[in-house]
Amino acid sequence: MDISFRIRRYNPEAGRTKPYWQEFELNDVEPSHRVLELLHRVKWEQDGTLAFRRSCSSGICGSDAMRINGRNALACKLLARDVGPKIQVEPILGLRVIKDLIVDMEPFLAHYRQVLPWFVNDGPLPADGRERLQAQEDKDLITDSTNCILCAACTTSCPSFWANGEYVGPAAIVQAHRFLFDTRDTGDDARLDALGAPDGVWRCRTIFNCTPACPRGIEVTRAIGEVKLAVRKGATAGIIDPATIKQQH
Amino acid sequence: MTSLVITVTETLRYRGAIGQWSWVLHRLSGLGVVLFLVLHVVDTSWAVFWPELYEEAIATYQSPLFTIGEFGLVAAVVYHAFNGLRIVFFDYNPHLWRHQQRAAQIVLLVTLVVLAPVFLLMFGHVLDFYNSAPQVLPLTEVLRAQLVFLPGFIAAIVAALILSGLHGLISGGDSATGVVDPQGSRSERFWWSFMRVSSLLILPLVFGHLAVMHVLQGVFDITAQGHDVVGTGGVINESGTAVEFVANRWNLLVGGVAVWRVYDFALLALVVAHGFNGLRYVLTDYTSHSPFLRRASVYLCMLGALTLLVLGVGALLGTIDETAIEMGVEAMERLHAGS
Repeated sequence: MDISFRIRRYNPEAGRTKPYWQEFELNDVEPSHRVLELLHRVKWEQDGTLAFRRSCSSGICGSDAMRINGRNALACKLLARDVGPKIQVEPILGLRVIKDLIVDMEPFLAHYRQVLPWFVNDGPLPADGRERLQAQEDKDLITDSTNCILCAACTTSCPSFWANGEYVGPAAIVQAHRFLFDTRDTGDDARLDALGAPDGVWRCRTIFNCTPACPRGIEVTRAIGEVKLAVRKGATAGIIDPATIKQQH
Repeated sequence: MTSLVITVTETLRYRGAIGQWSWVLHRLSGLGVVLFLVLHVVDTSWAVFWPELYEEAIATYQSPLFTIGEFGLVAAVVYHAFNGLRIVFFDYNPHLWRHQQRAAQIVLLVTLVVLAPVFLLMFGHVLDFYNSAPQVLPLTEVLRAQLVFLPGFIAAIVAALILSGLHGLISGGDSATGVVDPQGSRSERFWWSFMRVSSLLILPLVFGHLAVMHVLQGVFDITAQGHDVVGTGGVINESGTAVEFVANRWNLLVGGVAVWRVYDFALLALVVAHGFNGLRYVLTDYTSHSPFLRRASVYLCMLGALTLLVLGVGALLGTIDETAIEMGVEAMERLHAGS
């Protein structure tokens, strides 16, 4: 199939101070090719100055989130046949564009750090001195939120984040969810405080853009809702009904 | 400002699902209702404080511009109410999120189903009125009557900016959050719950209010001479003034209680708090880049809510006597002679 590609370019080094659209034509595209491969073909065959991030190319590292035909997705997970013969690609919104499809991820990562996304437990280690084991039912509470790869597709699909870069954003809340509802973790108080701040979880207006944007199929708005209820209650116990968790294993 | 522009343009460009459009409609309908709330509470307080002006205000409500606005207002309230219920439901039951798209469609459908008969009834009142060869204020007069609000809005904005500036000076710098309470956390948690709980209380009150004032009878019947005043069980509006209409309702005692005053007080307090906190959400969303403007937004909402509460409660505690009704009659004669 033939594809006409429209890419949002921005290259201040080349003297173009404003973003602009550039079009490319690609022939002999396999329907099973992924958008990332098409971007590679543009870069390798037509315009070597095109800049974008990618690492694993397998939907795991989360570095190639972009807005493809109006919706956030990972370029390495979207197939040409699912996008159609006309493809429009632009950087994710709400973060400063550095060059072409590359945005400054630092504000996003700062919000991530804000929710203390690490395991907190100063209690004594188990008798064998090894890992802290967890029952499968307890693990089920956080399985969905552990799937997050920090690609920022959810956060940059959120109108609240577009308006207000101070808002902690969906991804950071999903990461907080992963530790808040970890039954072995004891850092909830500090995390709930951070999330209860004026630009914390309350800026979510339940718009639901984040959930379909997630390339990992995480129930993002649900996770945010559960964190809201936890912040309101000041505790995480009893917020999630185990019977409502979809089975992933 | 730029964040507002980006949000508007990119909301149009981003291909979000129906939830995104529900959110847009929720914001727009909320803003529209708050704007009318300001006009309406101030206008209604004049029934007590300035009867001539109240007659003029009701006369403007009985003009084509406000008739169109009335349909918009009712649609906005109905949509905002049902979509609010949807948001409340999914906020308290996040695990049911899979049904949210269907719920958003149902909200639209229910809004249309409710509005269809409501609009028909309202349209009946409109036809009755305009077929009776009424004396209608010309558009220029209607607009001129709204001009008095302009200095009020400007004064409120200027006061909010000054307060924000002083706040910044006293607190010795810009607080990052722009929320007056430095900790913020507890109050934000309270307001989140308040918005949801208050909406459940407001729903029956506001639907009752709309039914009584816009559907069972029209805005035009407020000044219908010799007619029963709605909700009073047969009290007659002898003078046919809006002032007497309000007096008849507010003076109705059931078991010694002025039921309509209690009703209007509950509606006023809840709607003002809900509406201005909603406005605060909207304004602070788009002013995160400037602590000064963000604080000013908070002050503006506090000033607005306070003004409406003072005027509204003052009017509800006030008395409308014979003199006020005579002033209403005179004002009405002047209005009709002028048009």
